Amino acid sequence: MTYGAMTGTKTHSLKGENMDRFLRINMTNRTAKFEPVPAQYKDRAGRWLTSSIVHDEVPATCHPLGPNNKLVFSPGIVTGTSSPTSSRISVGGKSPLTGGIKEANAGTGWSRRLVRLGIRALIIEGKADGLWLLKIDKNGAQFEAADSHAGARLSEVYPPLFTRFGGLKTVDVCSIGVAGENRMSAAGICFNDQDGRPTRYAGRGGLGAVMGSKGLKFIVVDDAGAEGVAIAKQDVFDAGRKKMAAALTEHAITKPRGALNSYGTAVLVNIINEAGALPTHNFRSGRFDGAAKIAGEAIFEGNKERTGKELYNHACSPGCIIQCSNTWHRPDGSEHSSCVEYESAWALGANCGIDNLDQVAEMNLLCNEYGLDTIEIGGAIAVAMEGGVAAFGDGARAIELVHEIGKATPLGKILGAGALVTGKAFGVARVPHVKGQNMPAYEPRAIKGIGMTYAISTMGADHTAGYTIAPEMLGVSGKLDPLDPNKTELARAFQYATAFIDTTGHCLFIAFAILDIASGFEGMVEECNGVLGTNWTADDVGRIGKEVLDLELDFNRKAGFTKADDRLPEFMTYEPLPPHNVVWDVPDAELDKVFG
Amino acid sequence: MRVEVRLYASFAEHAPTHRAGDAFYVDLEATDSLLNLISRLGIAAKDVHLSMVNGRVVYDRSQILQDKDRIGLFPPVGGG
Ligand code: SF4
Repeated sequence: MTYGAMTGTKTHSLKGENMDRFLRINMTNRTAKFEPVPAQYKDRAGRWLTSSIVHDEVPATCHPLGPNNKLVFSPGIVTGTSSPTSSRISVGGKSPLTGGIKEANAGTGWSRRLVRLGIRALIIEGKADGLWLLKIDKNGAQFEAADSHAGARLSEVYPPLFTRFGGLKTVDVCSIGVAGENRMSAAGICFNDQDGRPTRYAGRGGLGAVMGSKGLKFIVVDDAGAEGVAIAKQDVFDAGRKKMAAALTEHAITKPRGALNSYGTAVLVNIINEAGALPTHNFRSGRFDGAAKIAGEAIFEGNKERTGKELYNHACSPGCIIQCSNTWHRPDGSEHSSCVEYESAWALGANCGIDNLDQVAEMNLLCNEYGLDTIEIGGAIAVAMEGGVAAFGDGARAIELVHEIGKATPLGKILGAGALVTGKAFGVARVPHVKGQNMPAYEPRAIKGIGMTYAISTMGADHTAGYTIAPEMLGVSGKLDPLDPNKTELARAFQYATAFIDTTGHCLFIAFAILDIASGFEGMVEECNGVLGTNWTADDVGRIGKEVLDLELDFNRKAGFTKADDRLPEFMTYEPLPPHNVVWDVPDAELDKVFG
Repeated sequence: MRVEVRLYASFAEHAPTHRAGDAFYVDLEATDSLLNLISRLGIAAKDVHLSMVNGRVVYDRSQILQDKDRIGLFPPVGGG
């Protein structure tokens, strides 16, 4: 499939402009406007900037799918530089899944290209009829109709786009799938990986539905001729970058051929299962008999058997040292699915009682094809299984259910609206969510600090809001007892530090190295100082993190959230979780203390 | 006494089936500690990052094991 020449579009030139601009797109009349970065947003990028703009510009009570919501993209502070593992893009808006503020991020060269064009934030406003492609390059922004791509699988639409726009060397592509086109609350926003696979997602919270509601199908970014990212203090930056690279290369989890590079994030399946904290059969148990069959080790061994060689993982985005992104192969050795993350293997596997890796990989592939968040979909299918739609463990039926979502049938639309809606539709009381977002792959009854994080996070149940799993389970940056409920300080400190990492443009997985290796942490701050010319210290990490969270909390308050929303679902307080037979027992007063 | 053992990630090569997570059983003396078990398995103690006994992380390797304990051993692992 090819496109005709771009016609009937307005071009807004970037030439002669200073670096560091906002690009504001109005989808209603399809115009684009460059603006200088307002003074109050100086030094802000990534999550700090998306949450600032959403807080300041989006009416908190607006409908997430209406014309007053905005979708904001922002690369991090060091994205686009030579800093390792820093090609993240933050995407923000009001979430149709939670009704609160949302930041979801992904690793992709798309982010790098955007910032190298001098675009600090891309703000999408208004609402168009039909579906559109937005192309951004050094000459400006152009629009063209994209209706002909509606309903297609993403692996079918990406290759012709690359062909048309000059290939992977020239462009990266952001897109929604059929789920976003149908404004489903479990729709994510897809970016291609380094090999052009449409597999890297800003997945959570339904931002794909927001993009769909605006009539925006694709954003193609071409950075040919771009000036790159200006660095204020090169020596400071270089020193910081070196410390960061050294920490990542040294730490056993992040180093080449280390745990993440060999086994991928799914290496966690076994450890969390052994700890009795792997949510199984829709959060009925913390142990899954088939866990080892869907774990990172099984992926590594299975690939070796099927391809005849040891496969180590690849970088999802340019400049990543950790390289945790895996592929799963069919019996004939051909590539089947990427990336089978811990969260996806769990959500589509253990949580649904499915221990067949080929079936889990197929569901993972279909989520990528249709533009879905694997966590929310695994959660919705497990809740549907609870409601009698399918039997736990029936992988063939579960695959059909994902196809129902891809066809946007009435059943598919219920599932695509997420676990909470699915629970209502099928009369299920056991819905493991906070603020409407399904919990990820750590049982809060068995790991109290992550439970506190789920409860109070501005994002709804989200492990990436503050990855307390590192000290609670993995012996990284501390050795805490997961069952100890006294984690108030921990839940606060981790959320602040994470909000800062999400602002730098680094992948959160740098945390393993920089929490254990002090010079790596210093390096992160120095890299930022180098780019911005600031004099931040470690104290500023907490200060900025708090500022980000305060903006998000304020937005959520204005959107109508109260303390009653900062709670885990009731069933967790009365259903003991095997094998430790523990209930959720952190007092509400402790939850309320986290953010004061 | 007899304990139930599972080895994970790169430790799988020390398991009878060479597969991560396959349970096997080891006979021990009543006074044997976690550390004794680790050396019996041929794993260097310094390579063990996490030990779990009955689903609880144990950092004190001098802990004496009990009959029917379920043990899991891991090198450094992390993910998301
Ligand atoms: S660590 Fe993994 S997810 Fe993070 S940027 Fe690297 S490859 Fe991507």
